[in-house]
Amino acid sequence: MATLKEKKTCSERMEDFRRFVWNPETKLFMGRTLINWVWISLYYLAFYVVMSGIFALSIYCLMRTVNPYEPDYQDHLKSPGVTLRPDVYGSRGLQIYYNISDNKTWDGLVTTLQTFLTAYTPAAQHLNINCTNDTYFFQDTFDGPNKTKLSCKFTSDMLQNCSGITDPTFGFPEGKPCFIIKMNRIINFLPGNGTAPRVNCTYVGDESSLLEVDYYPVNGTFNLHYFPYYGKKAQPSYSNPLVAVKFLNITRNVEHRILCKVIGAGIISDNVYDPYEGRTLLKNT
Amino acid sequence: PPPPPQGLSPPAASERLLRDGPNELRPPKGTPEWLKFGRQLAGGLQCLMWVAALICLIAYGVQEGEGQRGSADNLYLAVALIAVVMVTGCFGYYQEFKSTNIIASFKNLVPQQATVIRDGEKLQVNANELVVGDLVEIKGGDRVPADIRVIMAQGCKVDNSSLTGESEPQTRSPECSHESPLETRNIAFFSTMCLEGTALGTVINTGDRTIIGRIASLASGVDNEQTPIAIEIEHFVDIIAGLAILFGATFFVVAMLIGYPFLRAMVFFMAIVVAYVPEGLLATVTVCLSLTAKRLARKNCVVKNLEAVETLGSTSTICSDKTGTLTQNRMTVAHLWFDNHIHSADTTEDQSGQSFDQSSETWTMLSRVIALCNRAQFKPGQDNVPIAKRDVIGDASETALLKFAEASMGPVGTLRDQYPKVLELPFNSSNKFQVSVHAAGERQLLVLKGAPERVLERCSHVLLKGQDLPLDPQWTEAFEGAYAELGGRGERVLGFCSRWLPAGSVAPDQDPEELPALASGLCFSGLVSMIDPPRATVPQAVLKCRTAGIRVIMVTGDHPITAKAIASAVGIISEGSETPEEVAARMRVPLERVDPRQARARVVTGAELAAMTPQDLEGLLRTHPEMVFARTSPQQKLVIVESCQRLGSIVAVTGDGVNDSPALKKADIGVAMGIAGSDAAKNAADMILLDDNFASIVTGVEQGRLIFDNLKKSIAYTLTKNIPELTPYLIYITASIPLPLGCITILFIELCTDIFPSVSLAYERAESDIMHLKPRDPRRDRLVNEPLAAYSYFQIGAIQSFAGFCDYFVAMAQEGWWPEQCLGLRAQWEDPHEQELQDSYGQQWTFWQRRWQQYTCYTVFFISIEMCQVADCLIRKSRRLSLLQQGPCRNRILVLAIVFQVCIGCFLCYCPGMAHIFNFMPIRFQWWFVPMPFGLLILIYDEIRKLGVRRHPGSWWDRELYY
Repeated sequence: MATLKEKKTCSERMEDFRRFVWNPETKLFMGRTLINWVWISLYYLAFYVVMSGIFALSIYCLMRTVNPYEPDYQDHLKSPGVTLRPDVYGSRGLQIYYNISDNKTWDGLVTTLQTFLTAYTPAAQHLNINCTNDTYFFQDTFDGPNKTKLSCKFTSDMLQNCSGITDPTFGFPEGKPCFIIKMNRIINFLPGNGTAPRVNCTYVGDESSLLEVDYYPVNGTFNLHYFPYYGKKAQPSYSNPLVAVKFLNITRNVEHRILCKVIGAGIISDNVYDPYEGRTLLKNT
Repeated sequence: PPPPPQGLSPPAASERLLRDGPNELRPPKGTPEWLKFGRQLAGGLQCLMWVAALICLIAYGVQEGEGQRGSADNLYLAVALIAVVMVTGCFGYYQEFKSTNIIASFKNLVPQQATVIRDGEKLQVNANELVVGDLVEIKGGDRVPADIRVIMAQGCKVDNSSLTGESEPQTRSPECSHESPLETRNIAFFSTMCLEGTALGTVINTGDRTIIGRIASLASGVDNEQTPIAIEIEHFVDIIAGLAILFGATFFVVAMLIGYPFLRAMVFFMAIVVAYVPEGLLATVTVCLSLTAKRLARKNCVVKNLEAVETLGSTSTICSDKTGTLTQNRMTVAHLWFDNHIHSADTTEDQSGQSFDQSSETWTMLSRVIALCNRAQFKPGQDNVPIAKRDVIGDASETALLKFAEASMGPVGTLRDQYPKVLELPFNSSNKFQVSVHAAGERQLLVLKGAPERVLERCSHVLLKGQDLPLDPQWTEAFEGAYAELGGRGERVLGFCSRWLPAGSVAPDQDPEELPALASGLCFSGLVSMIDPPRATVPQAVLKCRTAGIRVIMVTGDHPITAKAIASAVGIISEGSETPEEVAARMRVPLERVDPRQARARVVTGAELAAMTPQDLEGLLRTHPEMVFARTSPQQKLVIVESCQRLGSIVAVTGDGVNDSPALKKADIGVAMGIAGSDAAKNAADMILLDDNFASIVTGVEQGRLIFDNLKKSIAYTLTKNIPELTPYLIYITASIPLPLGCITILFIELCTDIFPSVSLAYERAESDIMHLKPRDPRRDRLVNEPLAAYSYFQIGAIQSFAGFCDYFVAMAQEGWWPEQCLGLRAQWEDPHEQELQDSYGQQWTFWQRRWQQYTCYTVFFISIEMCQVADCLIRKSRRLSLLQQGPCRNRILVLAIVFQVCIGCFLCYCPGMAHIFNFMPIRFQWWFVPMPFGLLILIYDEIRKLGVRRHPGSWWDRELYY
């Protein structure tokens, strides 16, 4: 094997490499003649052009077959997620701390709520219609302008004490803060099976003390006429209905864990893997 | 006379045993087990995996320190990576361990017994309990249990061939005849055979201190050469590791430039390494080699070192022993000369050949002389054993004659009873004949055999067609001619003659030394010549080697004439080839004026060899394609091997003696004989032929070549999928799409689903007659060459990547994420605080809902790779032939492996709970079909490639696309 495994010095290796890059005797550049390099490059170019073409064609066919209004499958959207505003995250989920006497600690929270509610001013909602029926708002035809479907109006004044209109500080200085709960949109999702789903907030782990909560709108329900959702293309001006909760008896300087669930048929809130499906957990002091 | 020796007392013996250790060769000090295991964990690829695991751990540590959620994935991956390295390490170690064990099982099958005298009592003890000073008795058929100085001997002969290469039995007697222990008559060596007679001796050396022990420990000092396949794999692992680091580093830099934080970039680096390194490859190679080793073991080749399997395939020169390997290792009567005619005897191993005309009366007489003038006899109780296989007490020629007589004229015993022996004088070197007198009723018959010229001296008559005629010059000339011809064939010739004597001419109590005086005026019956005939399968095997471009060189300690005769008989010297001597004789010119190039063949003796420089030898090896080395010493064997290697050959060497062990070690592949081989030779060899048959080597060559081809296919198959594993990360980093394929999933592809098909390719049959091709040139025909890598990576791998992405985008779009939205989505997609990310339809997704979608993508991509790998496996069945020519279902194991692969895929997808453990999601049925057109494309494209390669050999297409 002596012939195969000669120990080479570094300079010999460098010389070998140089010879590999350009061999003046055989006119080989990196093991190929220049014309050969051209040919192989052209071959690969053609190969990739064809393959990209096939791929582009596949994607084109795919986009031709997908429905623009609703997705083919909703395998992972069995139940809507529930979120809370203001949303301040600590290392283990939502965590909200503030100092009543120091308005710098809650200014940010209030601003978040106010910004969030700007989408629900009457001006922002002017494209939507007023709905009064307490039933699902089915629309089989495109009745809205530009081949769209109509959406129901939800304005911030429906949140009454937590609307930010009467109390622009959302009760933070009094220690009775407002939080806004929102349910994620899922196309054709019909929550509650005919009865409106409602929000319910409780302490977690500490069952002895009862949490006093004011819900707005009354009972903390999401009105059924906001459902079903028909998708971005059909309902461009749709806005999620909201529920505001105002915690009335939070003991100060104690960490509480509060769980707000949306209760209603079809809404799963006990999925161990997804802490935000159908519920939202809040740590509060 | 001295009183009978008492020997050592048992307590003294056990004391010495304690002091010197047992009388056995200590196995050569191998590498310690932990080091062997450590080596399995420290290969090039394994090191990369360690680095990857380390990065994972660091990433985990840092993220945990920062209090981020979801970083347990990295810990999980690190554990998985370490597990992979450990498991493949254990596997490799186990394979190595198993093949070492095969060899261990050869030794000490039966513990050797020795007869020892202690306290005046004869005892049978295990040979390893002997100590220095012990008195031992040996007799014919025993193996000498230690180095022994002979005190008393009766006709003791030993076979020192394994130690010194002398093929003649050596006499042992008490007198010291030489200063060198190797030359002197009174020392018998450990592990040599005592052929006949008995001896009593003192043990002078035991265990490793014996001569054999010293040679064996010397040989184990020679370093083992790296096998060609090990060089190939190392070469290829270096390239893979280099490319992995290059890819990883490039994208690390790219990621840093794009603006990812350092830690994320490191994790990308890790992921790219994991994706690019073929984790299952080394295991696949090991399994493929051990499968072939098993197959070889069934054909009587036991491979000690797995890699040796392939070495045999790249062998271009075989230096073969003569005795036992090419020949049957038993003297056999080959020719007879009587009635002025040469008759051929049957020399086949199973006595299936033609016999000669036995009607002449001369034959009757000759056969009687052959049977009577013979001291050999069958061991009792072998009546049902075929004659050729019966055990005989007696030397090689006598055995041959006895068996010949038994086979051609019926039971010799009956004849001997008919003519009871009256007196005999055994063969000795001064008389060069053997004579005996037998009673034959009224008369006595004197029979004599010996060297033909000595026999002729004592003859006055000759038997021709049953008639007693006086000798005349014409007949004498015919005799000389026949003698010369038989001798020229390398055969040992004996003459036979007889004479009737009146009853009572010789009395049983007469001195045998008076017999020669009586033996004159004899009647000559005939000549018998014997040879160790070639094995029946050898000529065909040599021819196969020749067509396979392998040169067979004979290296033997035997006479040049015999060596040449056997070489011609088996085809090492082919018909029509001439040696320079023959050319000189034909052209009637002096030998010096013969152009060596005119002579294809050449017989070189050890003496000539000793006078040559290595350059001369190389020149000879270059000039004469057919070489026979005769009368060589084992040392010269080493020189021959080295010269062949300098000429660039991969050399296989066969050998059995202890002194062969350096040559066996030096050879690229040393082949020891299982039956005749000494332990030292077996230790030094890489392979052991259980039946000592040269033809088995050829089988080995064939299997070795096949496995090289099949390993190429396996590796091509394994490498291909690294591209569709790598591209998801590259696109993920550069285009910021949600990750299409996870590291754990990659490990599943590498180590679970794709292992079986890649191993099953080892069962693929040869595409063409591989034994009609030249041996591969180890410097040019690499295992992994540029076309193989380029074709696998940039063509088939690319198609697989397109298939994967196609399926990925289908799964994303159908669940609500259109391709254009996927681009640049990564940051939001992976933000664990984003619980309302909008898809293309305005629906809002929580983090975990997106996670499930991501796992679905992993699974979809996984299935795409699997579907394409099924096609890949089918195309790898052949490199040149069309799939239909190769037979798509002919390799049953491959079909099974594909079915199994798909089943595992299904199991991973649809077994409940997989999502939480291994990130596999049950996917929709139709997503299995998206990659299938791409699989079909792979099949069609490769068929086009193969068609081009077959139609236009040597063309640009062939050079670029044939691997």
